[in-house]
Amino acid sequence: MNKLVIVGVVVVAIIAGIAASISSSPTETVNLDMGRTHGIISTAMGSPILGNPSAPVTIVEFGDYQCHQCYNWFHNTKPAIVSTYIETGKANLVFVDLAFLGRDSPKAAQASYCAEDQEMYWQYHDILYNSQEPKIDGGWANTERLKAFAFSLGLDMELFESCLDSGKYSKRVQYNIQQARDHGVRGTPGFFIVGPDGQEQLGGAQPFSVFKQVLDSMI
Amino acid sequence: MIQTIKLVFSNFMYAVLACAIFVPMLIGLLILSEYIFLEPYVVSHLPSGTEFGFALIVILSALSALVIPMNVFRINILKSSKQKMSGGIFGSIIGAAAGACSCGPVGFAVISTFGSVGATATAFLTNYEMPIRILAITILAVTYFTTVKSLKVECKINQ
Repeated sequence: MNKLVIVGVVVVAIIAGIAASISSSPTETVNLDMGRTHGIISTAMGSPILGNPSAPVTIVEFGDYQCHQCYNWFHNTKPAIVSTYIETGKANLVFVDLAFLGRDSPKAAQASYCAEDQEMYWQYHDILYNSQEPKIDGGWANTERLKAFAFSLGLDMELFESCLDSGKYSKRVQYNIQQARDHGVRGTPGFFIVGPDGQEQLGGAQPFSVFKQVLDSMI
Repeated sequence: MIQTIKLVFSNFMYAVLACAIFVPMLIGLLILSEYIFLEPYVVSHLPSGTEFGFALIVILSALSALVIPMNVFRINILKSSKQKMSGGIFGSIIGAAAGACSCGPVGFAVISTFGSVGATATAFLTNYEMPIRILAITILAVTYFTTVKSLKVECKINQ
């Protein structure tokens, strides 16, 4: 009889422990195409596709919102790529986080996905790169500023704050970082240009002329 | 000053040493700072807003190529102390380290290897890249002028 009581207490304790751990950890409801790949890279946890999803070439960018070379690429090279290849349907772009530079980097990446919940991923992505300041972890991308960016875009702040504060997308960002490591990305920005007949890796904030040569050879 | 430079670099060995410092240092720093790319094509690129950083790299490399051979000359020819040499080496190293540990392969490797300590060091070197490079240039400039002054005295060069 005593043994039965002890076993019963242990079972109840285990069930209670499991229930408590489930209720305390933030739920990660991922509404994504889990099978999405470009070349051999899983981009399932990356950004939504910028441009025509059925474009023959995809540019996969691995980046960090605090990286000044990513800022350089965003301002000096990306506009020409967008106007020449993405807006014309020749290529599309996916951003995958390699958030490694400081403690604010993963949080900024998570915030971008909280904006995606309200279908404002690319607007939030752009506001981050337009607001970047030179100092890593200098406060420009701290939680308060990330919320202020969301407010300036007119997002539903209750939803955004609960998403960001709960760490809803922390695992998503970690998955993306692991993708970068698995595919030999050694710094940001890092690119894979994935075409119908293969893919080419580019490292660094390379000029438009380099992207043009690679893209034109694939289209 | 010109006479002192002529004195040192008239010796072919020191001219070669200066080139051996300047060219790899300049090219290495330009690659690390992403002004030059080697793959998939060799291409140079000076994005707008990065001109000052480019100028600092050129000055740093030029001063290193000037100061280090002059100090080697002092040590070899005049058997002087190695104290001033350390100023030149120190200035070159801290100038080169600033900015090298950023978003690029070096920064990623440092953070991956050393974790939070590496991240802190990388953040510091990136955040203070320009002030550190200016400090390094100042150290090299001071070393240069003190070296020229001591060479004038030790070699009895006429003013």
